[in-house]
Amino acid sequence: MRRSAAGTWLLALPVLVLLLWTVLYPNAAVIVGSFEGGLAHWREFLASPADREALSSTLIISVASVFAALVIGVPLAFLLTRFEFPGRRALRIVATLPAALPPLVGVISFLFLYGESGVVTRAVQDLFGMDEAPWRLTGIWAIVFVHAYTMYVFVFLFVSAGLERFDTSLDEAAAGLGASPRHRLRRVTLPLLIPAIAGSMLLVFMNSLGSFSAPYVFGGGIRVLSTQILASKLNGAMGLAYVETTVLALSAVAALGLFRILQRKQRVVSTGKGSVTRRAISSHGLRIALAIAGAVVVIALILPHLMVILVSFARDGVWTTQILPPEYTLENYRRLATDAQLWRPISNSVLMALIATAANIVVCFVAAYLLVLRRFSGRPLLGLLVALPWAIPATAIALGLAATFNQSDIWTGRVVLVGTFWILPLAYFIRNIPLVATAAESSLRQLDPALEDAARGLGASWWLTMRKVVIPAARPGLIAGGLLAAVTAVGEFVASIVLYTHANRPISIEILAQLRALAFGTAAAYSVLLILLVLAMAIGARTVEEQYA
Amino acid sequence: MKRAIGCWLLAVGFLGACSNDGRTVLTVYSPHGKDLLGYLETEFEKANPSVDVQWVDMGSQEVLDRVRAEGANPQADVWFGAPAEAFDRAAKENLLEPYTPSWAGAVDGEARHPQHLWYGTYLTPEVIGYNSEVLSAADAPQDWDDVLDPKWKDKIIIRDPVASGTMRAIFGAIMLRSIARTGSEEAGYEWLRRLDENTREYVLNPTILYQKLGRREGIVTLWDMPDIATLQQRTKIPVDYVIPSSGTPLLVDAIAIVRGTGQPEAARAYYEFVTSTPALLESARRFLRIPARTDLHSDSLPAWIRDANARIKPMPMDREILARDLDRWMKYWDANIRNQSRRK
Repeated sequence: MRRSAAGTWLLALPVLVLLLWTVLYPNAAVIVGSFEGGLAHWREFLASPADREALSSTLIISVASVFAALVIGVPLAFLLTRFEFPGRRALRIVATLPAALPPLVGVISFLFLYGESGVVTRAVQDLFGMDEAPWRLTGIWAIVFVHAYTMYVFVFLFVSAGLERFDTSLDEAAAGLGASPRHRLRRVTLPLLIPAIAGSMLLVFMNSLGSFSAPYVFGGGIRVLSTQILASKLNGAMGLAYVETTVLALSAVAALGLFRILQRKQRVVSTGKGSVTRRAISSHGLRIALAIAGAVVVIALILPHLMVILVSFARDGVWTTQILPPEYTLENYRRLATDAQLWRPISNSVLMALIATAANIVVCFVAAYLLVLRRFSGRPLLGLLVALPWAIPATAIALGLAATFNQSDIWTGRVVLVGTFWILPLAYFIRNIPLVATAAESSLRQLDPALEDAARGLGASWWLTMRKVVIPAARPGLIAGGLLAAVTAVGEFVASIVLYTHANRPISIEILAQLRALAFGTAAAYSVLLILLVLAMAIGARTVEEQYA
Repeated sequence: MKRAIGCWLLAVGFLGACSNDGRTVLTVYSPHGKDLLGYLETEFEKANPSVDVQWVDMGSQEVLDRVRAEGANPQADVWFGAPAEAFDRAAKENLLEPYTPSWAGAVDGEARHPQHLWYGTYLTPEVIGYNSEVLSAADAPQDWDDVLDPKWKDKIIIRDPVASGTMRAIFGAIMLRSIARTGSEEAGYEWLRRLDENTREYVLNPTILYQKLGRREGIVTLWDMPDIATLQQRTKIPVDYVIPSSGTPLLVDAIAIVRGTGQPEAARAYYEFVTSTPALLESARRFLRIPARTDLHSDSLPAWIRDANARIKPMPMDREILARDLDRWMKYWDANIRNQSRRK
C-alpha cells in the first residue's frame, strides 16, 4: 500500500480538481455571501423565532425520518434476502417502487390519498360515520410519513446489497459452533452490515435535511429550513437566505462527522465472494402470516402509484365530496398525445440523467477506490468533497451554480453554462455524487484490501487488478447507486426549477406547468409516463446487473 | 461499454443539431401559462417567421428572482407578466430596458412606469372566492372585513402569501389601508392576525388551492377574478366570486424588456405584438384577461369584463410605499403572524 504514491496522486488529482471546481467553488460563494454586511444577517437569523423554529423542526424531522426508514427498511431487507415464502418475488419487486415516484408527484399523490379529502381519509371517515376527517395531513408527522415511505428504499437497497454480498456460510458456521440466533445477529451479521446501515442512515438524514417537496406541499403548518431559504430568496432577502443555507450545511456536516466516527469504529471485512442461501419458512402458520403481512405491505407501497394512475383517468373538477373520482375519461391521455411538445421534456430528462449518471459512475468509482483502498494525504479532503453535496440543499446548489457559471473568465475558472443545456446535467451530477460514491464505498469496504495486494503480488498489472478484483467488488454498489442516481435525475425538481431553460426543460417542470394550467388529470397522465420510464430504467439496470452476475 | 458511450455521444450530437434551426431565438419569461403563451407563440411566429419564441413558464415571483440572479448575464429578452410591484423592484435594481410602446398614451398613469421601464398589459382585480355548492352568493363574505367574522374560522384557505403575487397585493392593500386610516401599521397587522386565525391552511400552488376549495376542505378564499373566471369556463369545480363592496386592489400585470437583451429588435416586436388590439381581444375572449389599454372598444370586450369594470372600485395602491415596505411587511407576517393562532 506504500507503493506508488505518485500513481495514487495521478488518479486523485483530476478528481480532486473536478470536485473542488464544481462542488466547493460555487458553494463557497454562498458562505461568503452570508457574511456580506458583516454579522448583520447572522444576527437577524438568531433573532428570528421563525428561523429557530425552522431549525428545530428540520432536525426533528430528519432524525425521525431516519428511525422510520430503519424500522421499515432493515426488517424488509432481511425478510426478502434471507427467507423464502410465498409472494417473496412480488414483494421484492414492489419494495423499490417508492423510488420510482418522483418527489413532487409522490407528495401530491399522498395528498390525494391521505389528505383531508383524500381517498383513504374519506373511506375511514365514512366507515366509522365520523363528521370530521379522522386526521389532517399537516405538520411534522405528515412529512415524516412521506419521508418514511420514499426514503426507506435507501435503507432497503443498501442493506439488501450488503446482505447479498454477505456469505451466509459464515452465519451457518457460527450456528454450527453453537451460537444462538441473537448472538449470531449481534456478532456476525450486524457488524458486517454496519457500513451499509450507516451509509443509508446518512443518506436518509441528509435527504430529509434538504427535503423540499413534502414540507412545501404540507408546509402550511410548519417551517423547515429548506422552505425558509426559498421564502427569504423570494422576499429578496438573499443575505438571510445564505445564512439559512449555511446553517443547514453546518448541521449536515456535523451529522456527517458523527457518522464517519461510527464508521471508523467498525471495520469488519468478509473475504468471501458472497453466496446467499434463503431459508424456506417451515411453519405453516408463519408462512400464512408472512404472506398476509406481505400483501398488506405490497398494497401500502403500491397505493400512491395506483392513485396517480386513477387521477390520470379521472375527469378534472367533478371529484368533490365523493370518496373516489366519480367520472373517468381518456381525455387526459388524448390531450397529452396531441401535444406536439410531448416528447421533448422526456427526451431531455433521459438524456440529462444518462449524461449525469455516466459521469457519476466514473468519478464516484475512482473517488470510492481512493477513499477505501488508498492511503494518501488528500484523503480527508476527498471524503469531505464527496459528501459535501448532501450538506447543501438542492436550491443552494442551484444558486451557487447560477452565480458561478453565468460568465466566462478563465482566470477565475468560470465558463458560461447558465442558459445552456449543460447546466442541468452538471447540477444532477453534483447532487448525486454522494449517493453513488457512498454505494460504491460500502461495496468496496467489504473487499479485503489484502486481495488487491495479493493480486498485485502475484504479478497482475494495475489495470488487470482493477478489472478482475476492484471493479467487480464495487459493481453491486455502483449499479444500485447508479440506478438510484439516474432515477433521481430523471424526476429531479428542486434544482431544475431554478436552472432550467427552454432547451433542457425536464419532465418535472412539464408536470408543474400542467398543474399550473389547471390540468390535474394531464399532470397525472404525464406522471404515469414518468413512472413507466423509471420502471423501464430499473428493469434495464436489473438486466445489466444479471448479465454481470 | 464503448457502445454505450458511442450511443450517448450520438444522442448529444443529435440534440446539438436540432436545437438551432437558424432562426433568431427570443426568450420570454412569463407566468401566463402554457395555453396563452403557446397561442401567442404560434401567432407571433406566423407574423415573424425569422424569430423562434422560446417561453419559460414560471411563477411571477420566480421570474423576478431569476432575472435578478441573471443580472450580470441575462438569459431572457422579454419579461411578460407579473404584478407591477415586482416590475417596480426590478426597475429599482436596474434590470429593465426602457421602451415606449406605440400605444403608450392609451393606459392610465397607474399602469405604466414613469421612465417607460414597464407598461401594463392586463388588469387583475382581487376578489373573494367561495365554493358555490356550499354557499350562495348572498351567504358568502361580501367585503374584506367580512372574512374576519368568527363564523369563517377554519373555513378559509389561501395561497402561501410569500410566494404569491396576488396574496402580496391583497396584504399590501390591507396594510396601505391601515396606514391611510390610522397612520400606523398596527391595525393592518391586527387584521392579518385575525385572518390567520380564520385560515385553515396556506396552500402551495393555485391548482391545489382549487382542488381543496372544490372538495370543501375550505370554502372561502381570497384570489383573483380572471383565474376564478377561467376555472368556471374550463372546469367543473364549483367556485364563484364576490367583488368586495368597499373596493379591491386592481393589480396591474405588466411587460418589460430585460436589460442587456441580445435581441432588442425581436423583443420590441414581441412586446408590440402581444399588446396589439387583436392579441388583447383574443386574450380577453379565450384566456379571460382584462386588457389594461383603455382605447379598446368596450363593445368588442366580453360581457363579464364590461360588467366587472362597472362594479369594481379600485383601492388606492401607493406603489412607492409598496416598493419600499412590502418586503418588510411580508417578512414580519412570516415571522410573527403566520400560524400564531394555531400555537396557542
